[in-house]
Amino acid sequence: MVDGTRSEPKEYAIEEFLIKEKPYYKPVGDEEDLFNAAYNQHIPLLLKGPTGCGKTRFVEYMAWKLGRPMTVVKKNGAQSKANEAQKQIPLVTIACHEDLTASDLVGRYLLDAEGTKWIDGPMTRAVKNGAILYLDEVVEARKDTTVLIHPLTDHRRVLPVEKTGTIIEADDRFLLCISYNPHYQSALKDIKQSTRQRFISVEFDYPPVDVEAEIVFQESGCTEDEAMSLARLGEKIRHLRDSGLQEGASTRLLIYAGRLIKEGITARRACQVAIVWTLTDEPELQRSIEEVVSSIFE
Amino acid sequence: MSTEAWKELESSLNTLPGSVSDAYEESKVSMSEIFSDDELLLWGKEGLAIGTQTVRSWEAAIEYFNVSAMVVKSLAFPSFMQWARCGTHLSQDAPSLASAFFSVSPSIVTNLRPQYIPRWVGLGRGLYKGTWKSGNLASKFFECSPELVRNLPFWDVEIFASLLESISGKSYEVAADCLDLGTTVLPAMGREREVFLSMLRSLTDTSWREVKSCLEIVPKVAKDVEDMQIGRFLKLGEKLAKSGMKDTSRFMADGTQALSGVQPNTHGKILDLCETLVEVEYDAVQPFLKSLETVLAGITIIQLDQWFQTGLNLIKENKEAGLAFFKIESNTSESVLKTLSSSIDLDVIKGIVTLYCTALTGQDIEISNSQELVDKGIGWVDESWASTDGTQVFLPAVVDQYDDKQSNFSWFKVIATHQVGRLEFGSFEFEFDTEAKVFTNRRVDAEKAQAEKLTKLGQPDEVGNVRTYTDIGKFLNLFDETKLAFDIFTVMEDCRLDYLIKTLYPGIKASTKQVQEDAILKRPEITELPLKEAMIELLIRFSLDQFNDLKVPEEYEDVVITLANLVHTLGNSESTVEDSAEATIRAYELISKVINETKPEEEWKDEDLEDQLEDFDEDEFESLVEKMQQSLEMSGEDGEGDPYDSPSPVEYRGDFKPEMVQLISKLQNDASEPGENQPLSQEELEQLLQETDELELDAEQGEIDAGMFAAWVENIMKEAGMPPPEGEPGDGQSPVLSSAEEEGELEAQEPKTYAYDEWDFRAGDYKPRWCIVKEKTLEEGEQSFYTEALNNYSGLLAHIKRQFELIMPETWRKTYRLVDGEDIDLNAAIEAISDLRMGVPPEDKIYWRRNKVERDVAAVFLLDMSASTAEAIDEGRQNSDDTDAPDDPVEYMVWLRRRREGLTRRNYKRIIDLEKESAALIIQAIESIGDQYGIYGFSGYGRENVEFYVIKDIDEPFNDKIKRRIDKITPLHATRMGASIRHAITKLENKDATTKIMFLISDGRPQDRGYSREGVEKEYAVHDTHQALIEARRKNIIPFCLTVDKAGHDYLKEMCGDMGYEVLDNIWSLPERLPMVYRNLTK
Repeated sequence: MVDGTRSEPKEYAIEEFLIKEKPYYKPVGDEEDLFNAAYNQHIPLLLKGPTGCGKTRFVEYMAWKLGRPMTVVKKNGAQSKANEAQKQIPLVTIACHEDLTASDLVGRYLLDAEGTKWIDGPMTRAVKNGAILYLDEVVEARKDTTVLIHPLTDHRRVLPVEKTGTIIEADDRFLLCISYNPHYQSALKDIKQSTRQRFISVEFDYPPVDVEAEIVFQESGCTEDEAMSLARLGEKIRHLRDSGLQEGASTRLLIYAGRLIKEGITARRACQVAIVWTLTDEPELQRSIEEVVSSIFE
Repeated sequence: MSTEAWKELESSLNTLPGSVSDAYEESKVSMSEIFSDDELLLWGKEGLAIGTQTVRSWEAAIEYFNVSAMVVKSLAFPSFMQWARCGTHLSQDAPSLASAFFSVSPSIVTNLRPQYIPRWVGLGRGLYKGTWKSGNLASKFFECSPELVRNLPFWDVEIFASLLESISGKSYEVAADCLDLGTTVLPAMGREREVFLSMLRSLTDTSWREVKSCLEIVPKVAKDVEDMQIGRFLKLGEKLAKSGMKDTSRFMADGTQALSGVQPNTHGKILDLCETLVEVEYDAVQPFLKSLETVLAGITIIQLDQWFQTGLNLIKENKEAGLAFFKIESNTSESVLKTLSSSIDLDVIKGIVTLYCTALTGQDIEISNSQELVDKGIGWVDESWASTDGTQVFLPAVVDQYDDKQSNFSWFKVIATHQVGRLEFGSFEFEFDTEAKVFTNRRVDAEKAQAEKLTKLGQPDEVGNVRTYTDIGKFLNLFDETKLAFDIFTVMEDCRLDYLIKTLYPGIKASTKQVQEDAILKRPEITELPLKEAMIELLIRFSLDQFNDLKVPEEYEDVVITLANLVHTLGNSESTVEDSAEATIRAYELISKVINETKPEEEWKDEDLEDQLEDFDEDEFESLVEKMQQSLEMSGEDGEGDPYDSPSPVEYRGDFKPEMVQLISKLQNDASEPGENQPLSQEELEQLLQETDELELDAEQGEIDAGMFAAWVENIMKEAGMPPPEGEPGDGQSPVLSSAEEEGELEAQEPKTYAYDEWDFRAGDYKPRWCIVKEKTLEEGEQSFYTEALNNYSGLLAHIKRQFELIMPETWRKTYRLVDGEDIDLNAAIEAISDLRMGVPPEDKIYWRRNKVERDVAAVFLLDMSASTAEAIDEGRQNSDDTDAPDDPVEYMVWLRRRREGLTRRNYKRIIDLEKESAALIIQAIESIGDQYGIYGFSGYGRENVEFYVIKDIDEPFNDKIKRRIDKITPLHATRMGASIRHAITKLENKDATTKIMFLISDGRPQDRGYSREGVEKEYAVHDTHQALIEARRKNIIPFCLTVDKAGHDYLKEMCGDMGYEVLDNIWSLPERLPMVYRNLTK
């Protein structure tokens, strides 16, 4: 901060985190309508797509968008402006990993001075407060946690909490949204059919060149030409997906490169550090991608 | 026993200095315990004899008495006396020599056989020449002897001594130094010592001083030269020494220096070259080695060959020139080096270029040497040029256009990008009916006009039929002078590509520009060309971005300007291949009306067009055409001019054959989807090929005879995957492509048969449903084999079982002190409570949980049942048993009995027997921990007959049947591993286990009848197996190859890549090793 006063780090309770600014998101297909429809109909969503193609951003965008007053149709007009925040929909994002247990999500007893005390987990809080619960990379989570979401994702919309012996009914605004990346899904880490079939699935992929160029341009602040070149580079690199690269260059990486370029790093260097070296450690592949970079950028 | 004799001896001893008898008395005590009295007397007398030889020999006598007690431990009495007498002779020569001899004796007799002692002493005496210096040398030799004898075979010591002797003839000091050096250096050498000594031997004749330097240098040689090559290196030195080279040590030093500077694995290759060189001119070897480091800094070891050959040829003609060459002191040498070092081999950068092209086009591009395209015999002829046939990009094998690597690589990149550009920007996707983006459509009108013209001429649309098979052909058919039109189209399309590449890939704009400028320099002079060709040449210049400094014929200035505008307009990022075609129509309209005649110098004028370029204007164009038509008609009869010749091509753009590419791909489509379009008959194809201009270009040397066409047609049909033309057997037109493989997919029809793809590494693709795997359950034999195997290995089995059982508890451990778990961990909870009471923040990790990592393994064992497993295991084991016969009588009897039993029961063991035993053991081991597993054998003959024998299916519970099946594991046919692996994958794939393992136990490389075309079967088999293993890994199966083939390292590395494999040096360890590897893999 220029004035020398240290700004306090902003801290929110997980269920109070609201998307305040409109996140940049450029719809490629009808995903926005689908999300709206699913939200109104209480159908959970499964977002599929490679890394860095905008799944998380899309959820943030939708959380913001659904939280706008015009979409809050069920609230009566008497509610005042002070309750604006109430209308907005919090977004609870949980990155799943192998050790994520059921109690990490639901809650657990903790000890304090008087004895034990029940603390709600993020899932319970999201259910109670009517948030959008976003489980990122859900295949990574242990199987017992995926079973947890079953009663939440059918007509019951409840969350049984074994340890406290209670059942929590989901708030009307609650929506479950999970994502996974089919590319590095293996036979072992596939989502079970019984889980899968509780969701509608929206497939994401990297956007077409011109759209991606616009996204890179908007997000990174580099020039339009540079953004176009980056988008074309992205397209070329994705051609290598079957030739040794596990994943193509994500839109996120292209944006990183664009930002570096904006800061005055030369384009070739920016691509090298943001894209080439990030994507692979294999020298031949690196060299090949660098040749593509050096063809596209001066 | 005569006391007389004793007395006499002792009194004589007393005449010698007092210390002699002291030593005698002292020694006698211990000697008397060993020797009988008579022997003792002889012993004493010998001492006296030694002491009385010369004035000072009593000193030697003292040594004699001192060491006797020690020496006698190793020598029996006769040998002992022989030894003593040697000393006596020595002390006669020189007492100091004898002293030295005696004093080292105790340490030497333990290592030297008694019969060698006199010879050894002889060596020492040989060195003594009666002088003081020689005496010193000889004594020194004795002093060094224990060291030498302990570490060298005796004959090497002898050679070394004789070496010293000849040197000592020249200088005692040098000989003494050599002795010192030799004592430390020689023992350290391995089997190269012999070569080294023989080299030294030849040195003593020519330049004895070198011996010492060589001894000094040789440890460095051993260190820096690759182990396997030391012997050869020394031999080379010997050869040089023999041929009279003076400074062998310099050679050794320089050579070692040179070799240490390069990769050890290249030493063999370099020595090959040296050996060639030494035959031709030995003086050149040293300069060659000296230059090596500099040379190899620039070029690769493969290129070294080329450089070396140049030098070798030179030296054969002119020695001085050759020497200068190898010293890199000649221009030839430098320029050869420069060309080599800056050139780029396609093979080296192939991987990178392939990925680069794949990235650019998004298609699976294969990069090949242009030669391969020429070899296909389908119309491409120039092997040094780039080209593409639509799926592959062909590039020249070597690029050495420029003097530095960077430029050559840029050039490579430009040509590769250009070829790829044809694919990326759709040069081959021309469709006659698709609208162009930049120009208006004139094709339809032209088609009509052409049709009318043909009707007028009375040949309505007849000829056009065949040609219109492809869109490009249909287009070119619009023109009367198709060759001219095709040339224009080529220029236009290349121009479009260059423009697009420069715009979309700004990064190689500079290189492209450079390449274009270089290309302009190579263009012919415009004014020397007849006008039509000059017009094409001008088009090429425009396409190369040269609009200034042009010579333009005055008469056609307006035509040239229109053409320039045309090219300028085509340079648009929107333009497509159809635009190139439209531009071609327009340019053709103009150029075809130019009379092809040479114009004198003064009718040309200089022109700079760059600043006057404007967009192409259709109206102006039409009026120009009108004008030209009129003038053409006015000029009348003589408007023919010279015959038109195609321009010399632009090298970097390579060969462009759109019609051939479209033809082949269309033929392929038609062949794979029969019915829709009637594919061309052979006659039609032949007619088409005769008409196309793409082939005409290449046959400038002479007439294309009918046979050539037939061959082309056949090859093209083959390329397109069409059935070969019927009939005409043995018409002499053998196809260029051999058809060794039986083509065609197979179908699995019978029950329990499965069809699998097979990987063709040459195509980089799978051959669909290529192998039929027939699964059979192995028949049952005797159960006795199984029980017998377990009995034979009972000790090992117990050990293995114990090891396996140890695995189990590891998987059920409780984990304490967790934040969350099954129940409260009481200890931790109490601690937490007491912490709370004390007001200390409690630890919150108060739960325990059972570790839920359950062992969940599924494994498949694939046993090689190929015929080669019938081989008897060599008798090495038995022989070694002979020498290992235990000394202890009881043990010996046991050993003997065991051996006899073994011999009567089975004369020899086969590899398959060990495989069977291993199978029995692994079953026992795995049963003890309860993993899922299957055991299968594989063999087969031919791809339609891959046999897959079930010994224990993965779902089958273990029972007596399986024990009996093991007995029936027998050597059968060949090994087609890939298909068997794929079938095993299928078995494992359906299993729900965390860890899946596939074991492959084999005795050699995969081989089978008709694995592939001749010459590459081995590679093909290895690649296919490798691919199959990769497939396994993709499916989360851990493959592991265990082979008993000692040569396995050669191909297993390639076959398994980074997947696990092990080569068993000792076949007998298989039954022990297999369970252990399994255990480690699943842990």
